[in-house]
Amino acid sequence: MVKMNLDPLQVMSGQVKELKVSPSSNGDSRGSWEEKDEFDQDHLGLTTKPKLPKPENAVTIAVSSRVLFRTEREQEVYLQKGVEEYLRYQIEHENEPFAPGPAFPFVKALEAVNTRLRELYPQSEELFDIVLVTYNHAHVGIRLINTINHHNLFIERFCMTGGSSPIGYLKAWHTNLYLSADADKVREALAEGIAAATMFMTENLTEVSESQLRVAFDGDAVLFSDESERIFKAHGLDKFFEHERDNEDTLLDHGPLKGFLEALGKLQKKFYAKGHRLDCPIRTFLVTARSAASSGIRALKTLRAWGLEIDEALFLAGAPKGPMLEKIRPHIYFDDQMFHVEGAAEMGTVAAHVPYGIAQKHNLKQNSNVGK
Amino acid sequence: MVSTIQNTDVKQKDADRAVVVAVTSRAVFESGADGDDVYGMGVAFPLLQALQRVNERLLEENPAESLLFDVVLITTDSQQQQQSSRIISSTRHYGLEVSRFCFSSEEDFVESLQKNNVQLFLSTDRNEVPQASQKGVLSALLDRQEAPSEQLRVMFCGDAVNRPDAGPMPASRQAAQSFSAQLGEMRQRFGMSDSPLSIVLMTSHGGRESCGGALRTLRSRGVNVDEAYCLAGAPLSPILSVVRPHFLLSDGFSGLED
Repeated sequence: MVKMNLDPLQVMSGQVKELKVSPSSNGDSRGSWEEKDEFDQDHLGLTTKPKLPKPENAVTIAVSSRVLFRTEREQEVYLQKGVEEYLRYQIEHENEPFAPGPAFPFVKALEAVNTRLRELYPQSEELFDIVLVTYNHAHVGIRLINTINHHNLFIERFCMTGGSSPIGYLKAWHTNLYLSADADKVREALAEGIAAATMFMTENLTEVSESQLRVAFDGDAVLFSDESERIFKAHGLDKFFEHERDNEDTLLDHGPLKGFLEALGKLQKKFYAKGHRLDCPIRTFLVTARSAASSGIRALKTLRAWGLEIDEALFLAGAPKGPMLEKIRPHIYFDDQMFHVEGAAEMGTVAAHVPYGIAQKHNLKQNSNVGK
Repeated sequence: MVSTIQNTDVKQKDADRAVVVAVTSRAVFESGADGDDVYGMGVAFPLLQALQRVNERLLEENPAESLLFDVVLITTDSQQQQQSSRIISSTRHYGLEVSRFCFSSEEDFVESLQKNNVQLFLSTDRNEVPQASQKGVLSALLDRQEAPSEQLRVMFCGDAVNRPDAGPMPASRQAAQSFSAQLGEMRQRFGMSDSPLSIVLMTSHGGRESCGGALRTLRSRGVNVDEAYCLAGAPLSPILSVVRPHFLLSDGFSGLED
């Protein structure tokens, strides 16, 4: 496990402010809920952990408990025996930490990047901020906190909504990326303009780097809109190539994960500015079925026009993505097609499904043909 | 001068077991034109309805239930005092489950609260709340809400001040403990879903240990929290506007996480 190495200098540099009495007791006439905001500076020097950034300044990653940890057994109890029994089970097993889930290596890598960012920019709030957003009841809270402690994760913020929709909270936290096991919640988030993806547990994951965050994206319907995919699905491959060639100089429209790539790019530039281009702890990949010779050009031109750099672009010209991903070893790979997500998982890559665009109708048709 | 009038429309609650909640009439009713017989609905109106709904559901579960909310309407406003009959008739008009009406002046309203064994005092007045609180009555400020929920949502703030040496224990700490224990007991009458009452914990400054500590403390008092929000310094209002509690209890809850 990666241990968080807190630079002692950072702890000392926080100023110890004077203790203030709570405003809402003992005669102060201000009772308004909003005025409590003023007092959040006071604990800077008194804690041993680094101060957390304001949500709007940070790159906020919201993860649900089911993707951060493995909770299959508990899910079974919930489905078989209902919510009361589920909560009783959770409390009974409160001191047993959950095992890491599919998003766990990704979150660890985010923390590694934060450590490097804090070294280079100790005062900056441009960091990853990881928030646990779950619609679990707070009865599970202690077990989740115990688990976070056990794995030495730096997660200090969470929302346990007790069954109501987490979507409002995602917005309140200025969420840049939401990862959940629940496809419906993910779809809701996407509809609200929040980058989101569904994650699944896979066995036999290949080892990933503990020091460099590696994120891979599919192109169409992930970084870009699904417009080209629509042509392909409606008129076939030849028409697709023709269309792309004819429109080479027209930018593609943006897709749901474009903003997240942008956020990663901003952080990368901070490393470059301090001479860390070669050993940048963030690396991004485009893994697309487009081909380099033809349709790929439009994708690259679009990225360039957006001012986005991607470290490696892999044009597979329709070849399966699994083997390539196995070589890249990203912490997470985003694709809009379950076919590719499953293919990636078979070869040990953590893949997340972005349920966006025309491919979803295709996904649904497939599922209904196969049946449950 | 303090006077109390019983509302004969409403069955009186068991004095030993009921949770007495006093709300100012100024918060419940809005003064309309002088000609009107009945006041308009004020900021606290949805709250009263939510309290009422909890009582209804408690009695559904057990018709002999004695752990109920006992709502008292307290009038401190000298203008409204002159309209005492209007307050009473408005209450009846809306069918509000108010058992008693208290009339007092600004100077002795706290005495009135104490005499009536009030366990929670709710007001829209920013001076009244700390005044009552200083005398040991658990109090909270009411704010206007957009889209208030039907479910009664009570929020405990777990970390107003996180230091044991920050001065004398707030006088209402004992009141806070017993109120939360009663609320916890009420909550247990209902299942996990479809409860008319939701208990929410929020810690605004501390991290997960703060929140974890508060969860444990509340649990040891028999209070099982439904929702928990650990902000660790993030701005409150965006989260509060999603949580939409009817009121916040921070007074007397410092040190929950110890």
